[in-house]
Order: sequence, then structure tokens, then C-alpha cells
Amino acid sequence: MDWRCPRIRILLLSVLALVWMGAALARLTYLQLFRSADYQARAKRQQQRIVEVSPRRGILYDRHLSELAMSVQVDSCFAVPAEIADPAMAARLLASVLGSSPEEIEGRLSASRSFVWITRKLAPETAERIRALNLRGIYFQKENQRFYPHGELAAHVLGYVDIDEKGLGGIEYALDEQIRATPGRMLVLADARRRWFDRQEALAGSGADVVLALDRHIQYIAEKELAEAARQSRALAGTIVVQDPENGELLAVANWPPFDPNALAGSTSESRMNRAVGALYEPGSTFKIVTLAAALEEGITRPDEVIDCQMGAIFIGNHRIRDHKPFGLLSVSQVLAHSSDVGTIKLGLRLGAPKFFQYLRAFGFGTPTGVDLPGENRGLLRRLENWSSVSVGSISMGQEIGVTPVQLASVMSAIANGGYRVRPRAVREIRRGSEIFPVAAAEPQRVIGPKTAATLRNMLEGVILEGTGALARLDGYTAGGKTGTAQKIDPATGRYSATQHIASFVGFAPINTPAVTILVSLDSPRGKYHGGEVAAPVFKRVAEQVLNYLNVPHDVPIAPRLQAVSFRAQPNAPAPEVSDFVPLQYEPSAAVEPRATLATPAKLAPVAATSVPRAEGREITVPQLLGKSVRQVTQECLSLGLSPVLIGTGVAVEQVPASGELIRPGNRVTIRFGRRTASAGGSMGRN
Amino acid sequence: MTEYYTVKRIDNSRLVPPRAARQVREMARWMVLGGVLAGVALLYAWQHFQCIELRYHLEELKAERAQVGERNQQLKLEVAGLRSPVRIAAIARRELGLAVPEPGQVAPIQGPADGVLAQARAAAAASRP
Repeated sequence: MDWRCPRIRILLLSVLALVWMGAALARLTYLQLFRSADYQARAKRQQQRIVEVSPRRGILYDRHLSELAMSVQVDSCFAVPAEIADPAMAARLLASVLGSSPEEIEGRLSASRSFVWITRKLAPETAERIRALNLRGIYFQKENQRFYPHGELAAHVLGYVDIDEKGLGGIEYALDEQIRATPGRMLVLADARRRWFDRQEALAGSGADVVLALDRHIQYIAEKELAEAARQSRALAGTIVVQDPENGELLAVANWPPFDPNALAGSTSESRMNRAVGALYEPGSTFKIVTLAAALEEGITRPDEVIDCQMGAIFIGNHRIRDHKPFGLLSVSQVLAHSSDVGTIKLGLRLGAPKFFQYLRAFGFGTPTGVDLPGENRGLLRRLENWSSVSVGSISMGQEIGVTPVQLASVMSAIANGGYRVRPRAVREIRRGSEIFPVAAAEPQRVIGPKTAATLRNMLEGVILEGTGALARLDGYTAGGKTGTAQKIDPATGRYSATQHIASFVGFAPINTPAVTILVSLDSPRGKYHGGEVAAPVFKRVAEQVLNYLNVPHDVPIAPRLQAVSFRAQPNAPAPEVSDFVPLQYEPSAAVEPRATLATPAKLAPVAATSVPRAEGREITVPQLLGKSVRQVTQECLSLGLSPVLIGTGVAVEQVPASGELIRPGNRVTIRFGRRTASAGGSMGRN
Repeated sequence: MTEYYTVKRIDNSRLVPPRAARQVREMARWMVLGGVLAGVALLYAWQHFQCIELRYHLEELKAERAQVGERNQQLKLEVAGLRSPVRIAAIARRELGLAVPEPGQVAPIQGPADGVLAQARAAAAASRP
């Protein structure tokens, strides 16, 4: 065989090629037919990765769609111990960042070979510090964490979640199924450099957003005033409920002591309790409104009927019940205004146990109100057959019965809205994407007639005008309400305590078109403990701020404090010469101390409406006001003793009368405000 | 006997062997076909790699969208915290020296109305001494 022969060479090369191709083909056939599944599985393991998509809880909003609770992604740190060469070193480094013990982390690293959490839901800066360590085998995973941007605000209503974002309290718990999202999964294809190049997503179901009836501003007012009252009175606990009497919506639910849902570790179960729905207490005199409502509705008494209060003592079933004061003859209105126990008991006895029980049930005592907040206490009302001979008398004045603050606020709302019992509710609507599901209000139930409700409203106004609730009198608004001072049961003796009380006030305002019902309850205040002394002033402060915030028109004149303040702003002004001006309160001072007016409300209250000093008979030259701001115009007019009428916003563009004209003190100067323009000028009087 | 060989050198390198026109067409057809096939194959390969590139790009955009969405959520949380009445009240009270207005200090300003202006003109005229 001649190797140099080209034919032989070509033949040999062809044979080699054929053999090589045959071998490749055989290998390919083997791989495709017999090892295909195995290698496909291996490829999948290398290329595909399943990534858990952390579910995100829905957002909790207040009634104006301000976020009260929301979730954002944060880093959680985990380790794959098999990849860590020196666990002891890694544990020491991690412990220095996390502030925990190296032994604990090392113990965790040795617990598993494949996966172990180092710490979950890290602060961004901590995560960055761990990243900077650049440790092998330490990874991060994104997880959602719940945040409450307002901290303690409305915490008892919003509730809280655990580390896995499961609702444990408040709305978070009550609507957990709706708010909680279903976890999603993502199948990711990655290349050798772990760059993703494709994915198949099973999207995480987003949680529903919940719009609450709460108003964060009203909530803030309630919490601020409750905190102030609780600190001043050194009460153990307290509650304020602000409700819309027409539809039962809870505009604010404040509880003391507070807690921060962002830092649950620092709170106690006591502080996390929503007392507005969960705390049971004997209401005391505030409950007399129920007795009176039933008696008036049954027509067995009238507001002007005179009742003999027997100088403050009455015997029922061998029990002597004493009034807090020895009253003689009082009208029914006065019985309520002065909170006479004897008078109320007489009305209760006249009503009779079965009828009284019927009204108690109708008002919803002893049954849950159906409020959409968890942990509601149904209250305590014995069955009629278990009533003793003194039960009617005791319950008439608010003993031997247990209520929750929300129950009592709802009763007052029923009186305020004309006799309908409305279900208190904290949730307005639930939103899923663009779909809105309003939470239907329960059908209101008539408990008393509109005439009885109107009569009772007037009587409750009397409590504030001439009775025990004098400190609840509002500036600029009419209001009705009832004070209550209930003795607590001493657990040691099982008897009423002489030192432990619950001071409360429940009321509404304004009288004719009630906008809000407010309940204030303080548990075990020290020092002053009467509802009229401790709770009524809180009602006043909350109601005035809330009504102003809601732009409810004033229905009674208010003390002209704005004018008085303007007077203080001019230290060099001559001393006023009017008889009813009280210089002590408005001494000339250069700087207005804003807190002073808050700290001494009692001083300011009696300022008469005619306290503005005006030099009668003197004529005032109207100043040039054009181009000035609302504030400047107001200050200038008031300083001269003129009454500004402001129209619009911006800078003054027109004024009537024109500058330079002479007018009498106290006359009105009308100023129109608008955008500053080059041609702005002139006065309305000359146009 | 002496034999003589004569060599006549003929250069036919410049001669082009005649080809059948049919063969030429056949070859051209195959070449076009091969070219098309190669083009299709190249196009397919280009598309394939382009597709992979676009997938990478898409994933980057998705990741970016997720990051932006998350940042948006974080900013919303920050805004909610900044708008907290607790914080605003603290700043108003401590830093600006403001206080909660007393009932008489709040005066809602109504919008302009011709009736009001007319009354103002009349009042101004009447008040002129």
C-alpha cells in the first residue's frame, strides 16, 4: 500500500471522519435517548431558580386616604453554612455589626448546612454594613416589613403584626384575610454568570387596602388631649371615643397608655388593649341618660315634673342609697343636671324592671355593638330573672351593669341623631386595585322617638349650662352631655372602692345638629376624680378643636379673643378706657406667648364680648392696605380698631372704603384679595 | 535508424473550456439556494441572540421597575411620616412657637361675592362722616 497515493489518503481520511462522526452520533444518541432526562434536570438546576415573591399587605388609610400603615421591602440576612470556610470568624464579624453574641450566631451557623437566618428585617444601614463585610456564604433576601408612619397614633385601632406580617391586633387582625396577600413565586432562568434572562411569574396576590373611618387629625387631637389629661390626673388608663352620631363612624379612638406598633417589644399587653371596645366598667351617672330616655319615651315623666329627692337618701330592699348631695325637690331636668341618684332611682322604679330591661336591650347593652374592631366586650347585663330587688335602682344610676366606652358613646349618638341606634364602625371601605367595596352600614334601629330625643338633648344641654358638666361648656358651640363618677370594685374586698373611680363624660355638640359624639373616660384619676372635674374639661378641649377642624359653624357667640390678642400686639398703645376690659389678662407685652392661652383657659373664658377698647367719637383714617397680605391687613385693621372683612386669598387688590377716608371706629373695611398684578390697585369704592 | 521527436509546445491555458449553459444555471440555483439558506440560518441565529439580549434587557428593566416601585413605596412611607400631625404639631409648637387656635381665632374666609361687595360699598358710603 502506497501511503503517498492520494486516493489511499483520501480514503483513510474519510474512514476516520466516518468513525469520528459515528462515535459522535452514537454518543449523541446515547445522551439523547438514555441520559436526556438526567441532563435536563441538571440544566434546570443550574439555569432555573425559583424565587419567592414576598406578599405585600394592603395599606391602611384614614378617611382622607392618608397612609396609617404600609409595608416596604427590607433586607433579611441568611447564610449557607456549607459555603462558609471559617464559621467562627464569620460569627464574630456578624456579631460586631448586629450587636449580638458571636456564640449565638456560630450556633446558628452550625445548626444547618444549607440555610439559616442570621437576622430578619434589617435596618438599611445595618444591611449595608453586613454587605461591606463581603463574607462568603452570607446572602440577603428581600422581605416586606410593616411600618406605621404615625407611630403611636391610632395604634389600638390599627393593631400590629408579627415578623411574618400576620395580623395580631386591631384592624390588622380583624381584616387579616383581606389585607394579607398570597405569596407569589417566580421561575427565573439565569446564565452562568447568574444574570437573569427570562422568568415565569406566578404573581403574588396583593392585599386589599382598607380605608378607615378615622380622621388622623381628630385622632391626634383626641390622643393629645387624652395624654395631657392622663398625665395631669395621673390616671391609670383612659379612653376617648369620637363618633359621628349620624352614621356611627368612629372618627377617633384614643387609648391611654399608648404603644408604638413599630416597636412592639417595648409594649405590654395592657398597653396594647383597645379599651374603647374591650374595657368593661360600671358607667355610673352617665348611664342616667338611659333611664331618663326610657322614662320619657314611656311618657311616665316630663322634664318639668318635680320629684322629691328626699334630701339625698332612699331605701330599696333594705339598702339605703345615698345621693352625693342632699337634694330636695328637683325637676326631672334638674335631676339629670345635678345627677341626683335618688331622683333617677325613683324614675327607674316607676318604669319597672321588665320595661327597663326592654329598653336596656334596645339600646344594645349586654350584646356586642357589632363594631368592626376585634376584642369587643359585650358588656354585662344580668338576665331579668336574675335581677335582685335593688337591681332596678342600681342600674338606674349606672351600677350593677357593665358597659364599654363604645357602647355608651353609641347610646349618646342615638340621642343625638334623633333616636336611632347606629352600629359603630371603624372601616369605611375596602379597595382591591381600582375596585372599591364600601362597607355597608347596618340598618339603624329606632330606640326612642324623635320627640324624646329632642327633649333629652335639651335636658343634656342643661347639664352643661347649669349642672355638673359646667366645665364642658364650649366656646362658640352649644353642647349636651352627662358626667359620670363610678366607683370601681376593689378586687381585695369585692366592695366598691372609696379611692378608685372612673371619671367620665359623654356628650355631643352642637345641640341642634350634632356633628360629633365624644366620650371621655379616665380610670383611677388621682386627686380630683369627679367626671365633671376631670373628664368634662377634656370633652371641652376635644370638642372645640374637632368642631373647628370640621368647620362646623358656631351656634353661639364666642369671646372675641382675636381682638384681644391683637390688643396685646401693640405694647405702646394707650390704656383702654372701657369698663369691662380686664387688663390683667391682656397686659401689654411685646411677645405673644401662644402656650399661655392654652395653659390658662379658665382665665380667658369670662372675657366679655365688648372688651375691645375703642375711643368713641374719634374718626379713623382708613389705611392703605393694597398689596398687603391677609395677615398684615388683619393686624393693621385690628390695631386701628377697624373690623376687616376679608374676601379671597393672596394680596389685597381692592379695598372699601378707600385709603384716606375717615370712618368711625369699629366700622368694617372690606378687602378683596387676589393675585398680585401690575395693574392691581385702586379701591372698590372708586371703581 | 535515428528517430527524431519533435515537440510542439501548445499553450492552451487561455482557452476556456466551453461549459454547458444548463450547468451554469444549475450551479447558480444551488448557490442562490445555499445563500438563502445561509442567510436564513444567520438571520435565525441573529434573532436568537438578539432575543436573548432583549431578554437580558427586559429583565434589567423589570428589576429597575421593581426597584423604582419599591423606592416609590419607601418615599410614600417617608411622606406619610413627614405629614404626621404628631410631628407637625411638635415642630409648630417647639420651633415656630405656634399654639392651637382658640375658638374665636378661626375665621373661615368666604369666597368673593358681589352681594358682599355691594353691602360693603353701601356700608362705606353710610359710614362716611
